[in-house]
Amino acid sequence: MDDLPLQKIAISGPTLSSLLQRVSSSPADADGLLFGHVLPVAPASLSDDPSSAAAAAAASASGSSDSTALVATVTSFLCPGCPLSFFDSLGRVLSPALLLRHSQHRLIGWFSSRRRSRLQPSMREFNIAASLSSDPSLSFPIDDGAASSNGFSPRVFLLFSTPPLDSAIHTHEYRAFQFRTATDTFEPRSVDVVNIGPGFRGHYGNFSPNSSFPWLACDLRGSSMMQEDSKEERLSEMRQAAKYQNEIDLIAEGFPVAKLSRLVGSEASNYTAGLEEMYEKMLTKVDSLARLVEAGSAQVVEMEQHNSKLRAEVAGIKRVVDG
Amino acid sequence: MASDCFPPFIAAQLNYLVHQSALGVKVENVWSGSKSYPGVLDRFTLLIPYCLDYIKWDVLYNAEFPLCAPDVIFGPEDEHFHPFRSRSKEGGNVMQGAKNSLSDWNHKDPSRLSALIQELRDEYMAYQRRRAGEVDDDRLTFEISTIMSREGIEMHMSSGLEKPQEVKFAVPLVDININKMVRGCPWRYLQKIHLQVVYPVGKKYVSAASAPRLKLVCTPELKALFSVDEVKLPSWVDGMCMAEYLPHLEESLQGQIMEAVALIDTRRHFIEALAPVFGRPVEADPVFCRKATVLVASGIFTFLVHLFIPTQFPRQQPALMLQSSQHFNSQGAPIKSLLLTDYPWSPRWEVSQMAERILEFLVDESLNFKRYCNEAQLQT
Repeated sequence: MDDLPLQKIAISGPTLSSLLQRVSSSPADADGLLFGHVLPVAPASLSDDPSSAAAAAAASASGSSDSTALVATVTSFLCPGCPLSFFDSLGRVLSPALLLRHSQHRLIGWFSSRRRSRLQPSMREFNIAASLSSDPSLSFPIDDGAASSNGFSPRVFLLFSTPPLDSAIHTHEYRAFQFRTATDTFEPRSVDVVNIGPGFRGHYGNFSPNSSFPWLACDLRGSSMMQEDSKEERLSEMRQAAKYQNEIDLIAEGFPVAKLSRLVGSEASNYTAGLEEMYEKMLTKVDSLARLVEAGSAQVVEMEQHNSKLRAEVAGIKRVVDG
Repeated sequence: MASDCFPPFIAAQLNYLVHQSALGVKVENVWSGSKSYPGVLDRFTLLIPYCLDYIKWDVLYNAEFPLCAPDVIFGPEDEHFHPFRSRSKEGGNVMQGAKNSLSDWNHKDPSRLSALIQELRDEYMAYQRRRAGEVDDDRLTFEISTIMSREGIEMHMSSGLEKPQEVKFAVPLVDININKMVRGCPWRYLQKIHLQVVYPVGKKYVSAASAPRLKLVCTPELKALFSVDEVKLPSWVDGMCMAEYLPHLEESLQGQIMEAVALIDTRRHFIEALAPVFGRPVEADPVFCRKATVLVASGIFTFLVHLFIPTQFPRQQPALMLQSSQHFNSQGAPIKSLLLTDYPWSPRWEVSQMAERILEFLVDESLNFKRYCNEAQLQT
């Protein structure tokens, strides 16, 4: 059972807008990978009337014997910026092992953007989707809590385009599909853009944190006494924790968590001044980092433009453009 | 910036496809998908002849990476057409040794796009044949099984929400090379006549199967020699099948083509017969002898007479058009008469008599035409 139907494809507003930005700033057609997770959703309407509950179950199970409805959530993406990056001209996926390298994110599908074209999957896009979804090494289990054997292979496909005619208003068009291996077809799915605000709080029920920031096992030293018998088992764990603690101490610069107790009481006033100073230092550091990143990005853009010019020269476009 | 044009590699491939290949592909629309070079075209819609109709495919190159192989978007009704499908084996992504025109793309070879379109069209033909074969209609299944072996047959299955399901056949008729029969033939491509047969897909238990819709279609250039619109199709008897129908039609068609080729010589004799009466024609169509122009003078009024000779000559008389060489309209174009077809004529006359009778008619008509020219010029 690797071909469960998706109810919808969810994407958060910031992810979608950064995806659109990436796609529209790209000089040419672009494609890339989508990461995220797949979760089952609880049925929206629960009823205590047995007959209507059965009807609802039957409705949600239409097309599939399994009644679990899945929602695929896109949390991040990777756009290599050059064509044929992870597939060949026939649409065969190259070295799936490479795609698995981003293991903290699940590869749930891919996207393609082509300006001024029909919003209909092309020959190559079909072949890529078929190739991605049929590769067993890319399949992953769905974390639905229960020990089910259901898996999900990357079958989400987002297609972006711009209208065929030039218009003053800049618009983006997109369509989402799920590739069904059983019927070899793309089935259109609705895209659920999860926005920020109280009205959308319900959407976050399906979200799970995907930050790569490690979980820090740095409880207040000394405050928790461990049992002696499990000490050996936890030795490596402790060593790891000590490593994390060192990292944190480096950032905190002499303001360990233990000292937080000083924030209350008589010595609070001069202690907060110290803390503020530390935050200020951290902010300066972040600021200089941002500047470094900015300079780096500028260099990358410059290189990209240079490459594009070289490519155009090789292809003879320069001659065409210059007349 | 120069006007919109293709990068050289793409231009070479497209030129080859349109002008060198025998597919008869037309380019409907060209546009650019590039952001940095909005004037550099890299995508176009192709009209590819298939089953006496055209299929529309969008070919997308990438102006930013013009050395890469193109991609194709098929028509919206062909969402199940998936050529070059590579099925990976269980337990890994085994690259199959599928060799086709995309697998080793070479941007320098101008024939690549043409090879790709040809290959895709072949795949499309097989796909449509498969679809037509899956139809749940006993008559169609039988027709397909008996006609399948015919070379060059094409099928198309059309279905839509509003339209009834239909299977369209394009059956090439008459296995003779018409190009070789015409002396000095100017046609680049082999001329063909097809019979279009359209079957409605019936419900399984309908006893009275209606006759299919039949239509003869020929390549446009063939019209200079032979008009399929005037061919009377034999009637379709109830319970007939294509394999029964086609031999009769082909036989009669073959006879008519032979006749049409023989008629070229009749027309040639007629044009030759114009020379003693009118003087040597100013211009004449030497291959199909469908057109001749002679110079005529009545007093000092000189005018040209264009003779348009129909394929049915001598049963039908030539249409005449007079063109003054002395009167011009406000745009500076010579004044012409309307087509004249209403003058004494008999198909039984000798060609020399035909020419003389036309001259007699023109002697009277020249006065009318002169008056007409003078009036037309005065008005301007």
